Amino acid sequence: MGRDLRLENLTKRYGALTAVDHVNLDIEEGEFICFLGPSGCGKTTVLRMITGFETVTEGRIIFDNRVINDLLPKKREFGIVFQSYALFPNMTVEENIAFGLKMRKMPKKAIAERVGAMLELIGLSDWRGLYPAQLSGGQQQRVALVRALAPDPQVLLLDEPLSALDAKIRLRLRAEIKKLQQELKKTMIHVTHDQEEALSIADRVVVMEAGQFRQVGRPIEIYKNPACSFVADFVGTSNFFEGRRTGDAVIVGKRKIKVMQNGAAADEPVSLAIRPENVEVFKPETSLEVEEKMNVVSGRIDVVVFQGAAVRLLINMDGEEIITDIVEKEFEQRSLKQGDEVLLYFPPEAFLVFPKGGGEK
Amino acid sequence: MKNPLHPEKTSPAWLSADAIFTGLITALLLAVLAFFLLYPVIDICRLSFFKEGVFTFQNYVEYFSNPRIFRSFYNSMFVSAVTMAITTVLAFFFAYGLTRTTMPAKGIFYTISTFPLIAPTIIQALALILLFGRNGLITRYLLGTDWNIYGATGIIVGEVLYCFPNALFILYTTLSAVDTRLDEAAQSLGASSLKTFFKVTLPSAKYGIASAAALTFNLTITDFGIPVVIGGNYSVLATEIVNKVFGLQRFDLGATISVILLIPSITAFTINYYLTRKSYALISGQARPFLQPSRPFKKWAFTVYSALICACILLVFVTVFAGSFVRTWPYDFSLTLAHFDFPSLGASVPLWTSFWNSVLEPGSFRTMIAIKYAPIWTSLLVAIVVALVGASVTLVAAYIIEKKKPRGEQLLYSLSVLPAAIPGVVLGLGYVLAFNKPYFFIYGTIWIIIINVIIANFTLGVLSGTANLKQIDKSVEEAAVSLGAGPITAFTRIIFPLSRVAFLSTATFFFMRAMTTISAVLFLVSAQIKLAAIEIIFLDVDGRTASANAMCTVVVLIVALFLIIMRLTTGSSGLTGMSASK
Repeated sequence: MGRDLRLENLTKRYGALTAVDHVNLDIEEGEFICFLGPSGCGKTTVLRMITGFETVTEGRIIFDNRVINDLLPKKREFGIVFQSYALFPNMTVEENIAFGLKMRKMPKKAIAERVGAMLELIGLSDWRGLYPAQLSGGQQQRVALVRALAPDPQVLLLDEPLSALDAKIRLRLRAEIKKLQQELKKTMIHVTHDQEEALSIADRVVVMEAGQFRQVGRPIEIYKNPACSFVADFVGTSNFFEGRRTGDAVIVGKRKIKVMQNGAAADEPVSLAIRPENVEVFKPETSLEVEEKMNVVSGRIDVVVFQGAAVRLLINMDGEEIITDIVEKEFEQRSLKQGDEVLLYFPPEAFLVFPKGGGEK
Repeated sequence: MKNPLHPEKTSPAWLSADAIFTGLITALLLAVLAFFLLYPVIDICRLSFFKEGVFTFQNYVEYFSNPRIFRSFYNSMFVSAVTMAITTVLAFFFAYGLTRTTMPAKGIFYTISTFPLIAPTIIQALALILLFGRNGLITRYLLGTDWNIYGATGIIVGEVLYCFPNALFILYTTLSAVDTRLDEAAQSLGASSLKTFFKVTLPSAKYGIASAAALTFNLTITDFGIPVVIGGNYSVLATEIVNKVFGLQRFDLGATISVILLIPSITAFTINYYLTRKSYALISGQARPFLQPSRPFKKWAFTVYSALICACILLVFVTVFAGSFVRTWPYDFSLTLAHFDFPSLGASVPLWTSFWNSVLEPGSFRTMIAIKYAPIWTSLLVAIVVALVGASVTLVAAYIIEKKKPRGEQLLYSLSVLPAAIPGVVLGLGYVLAFNKPYFFIYGTIWIIIINVIIANFTLGVLSGTANLKQIDKSVEEAAVSLGAGPITAFTRIIFPLSRVAFLSTATFFFMRAMTTISAVLFLVSAQIKLAAIEIIFLDVDGRTASANAMCTVVVLIVALFLIIMRLTTGSSGLTGMSASK
């Protein structure tokens, strides 16, 4: 067993408000974990309890087989990267990176070497003498990243490090962080509200809502098999239907839709979720070769949103809005356009069935 | 699995260590403020209510039953109310001109308008007497009239000139923060300029206006320098306190009047404080400084108006400067330096004396510099110590309040803000009552003066410190801690360097106050320890008006020189944001 980090019944209460509610997690050494959730879900509070800047109300944080609840933040030797970079504006790039090393009373020569190596890692060697204000946001966050890494922390904690950056730089830096993590094999815990970021970067994603962990799993699991309707809704996009289960079908309003998955007992209220890319769109005149005729519904294209490789269609289905994504080529081939009457096909196997009230949406 | 620590404990050890550190400093600050701020004020209240150990209203009965003394209360309220009305209106239009028109020379106008902050409040009175006094240049020499400005008129004109920059600062901030696009929107909807002004501009600035008015009231009712010089027989509360104490040795009556003065001054301060916060809370981040060119009439009307006000402010300085260099104002205008050879009033400061003795040749010049200039050297020493210590202590207090938020933070904050509400004369008298005891060894030394000035101006130091610290992201300090820095390292390596500009401007403010303050230290000077600003009053009371002018000129020049040095060496500061209104 390596230097694992373990959260046991971790709880944080502010008076009557429970920000984090008895959460449990084992993080292996070298793992890249992402806490994902909407703002106010408690993800940052979990991170801050791990850093030691927030006290623990209940439960334990165990690192390397020691309870560290009461350990000074500086004694934890965890590196932190902040959303606002938090570089020291009164110090140069070099001095910023050297700060943690000086605090550890490293010899001067060793500090210089380490700082040099760190600057090389982020390709900012020529910028060492500049002050943070002279750098772009992306450069500042790179400096903040290696400043946290320079003292060789046991764990690196990243608190929404990319949120303040422009879209393009965000993508690049995301890839750089991932690469760095794979090279250094350092345990990293990353907090974000951006689901795409979480799915693309993490070994495992923890989806949080209302202070609780809704699902913990590999990105693909989270996306393909969301544990509850909240996860299905928050991670990626889903169309939802509320209905009542009867045998292998669900009654939604006047319609009966066939589903494959067994998510609830008979005659129970359920919610159905289906990803936009799983809904198929045809022109009415097309001869359909589908398995379940009852899952074919007619609608009208209200809005066409071009997204590059895919095209998103907002379809009006008896007043209800259905989101579908189809590949741009197919969109071309089927010559679909706004205002067209279309047929929608919902494959039964693509439906996720959640008992209603199970994961409150 | 090992479990060396108890999971039940809810507060980690480091938090308690940090809390102990914070708690110690908090306790220390609270103790200092309690001892040097609350205790003197409470002592005043005690003295006003007790006679020979028995609780009594006798002092108050005596005050209110004697119409001649009671008059001072009415007088104070009257001059303060009139000053408030005039200053607020004048400053509002000046601020309007600076923020809402495209008049030229705004920078020059603004700079000149802040000049009164660098001089003792007495300067306005001295100038008015030179111009409109019994031997005034204008009244006697030019007009040949017997009318003079002594009394209520003089006090009001003097106070307006003195309070102007303080009121202006609030109104300027308010008006420049209110979104001018509101005005544009109103006009695009068809409102006339006048209607826009009354329906949009004025209402959106109402809190700022009220807060500027309250501040002016507070400054006027607590001021001592102007009424003592120009008031003549017109007595106000602040001068009445000094009269009763110095003239009649009636400390009990002085204390009684102090308590009476505290009521309007604390009320006015409280109103100012809350309205300022309310006014700044309305500030929209969207405010755009872009201005359409004003119509020529509006532009020139405001230019002339602003130029006139600046001329009045400049006239004060020019008059006092001139008054200190001419032989006999207003009859003999030949130049002389004789007034700078201050009469020796028996002060001696061995430290300075021996210093000058060692660097200067014996002779009358050395006597002048070493002995007669003693009050100036003392003031300078006091001002430098006050600047360094005051700025440091208030920065630490602000740091504790803003970043540490310990238990008792609210109390610490309240006590830190309180000094601005306490009139200097009252605090000074309180110091005499509380600390004039044989076992209190620093009484009668310059240290009690230094402490008094720091405490009296604590408010602005703490407020500008907290405003600055609010801008430092909490995560910057956390980053330092997570990288291994302790609380002291984090403060000295990160927080202090980032507060450098605020520190310097607070230090500048403390220096200015120490050089120019009169009312707070009036009771604390002695035959041995004299201060330049107080000497101005004593010289004036002594009938040596020209020397009073000369001393005032010296004080102004020292402060101006200090400001210039600060500006050249740090590239920052200047007077903006340093008025008592912050």
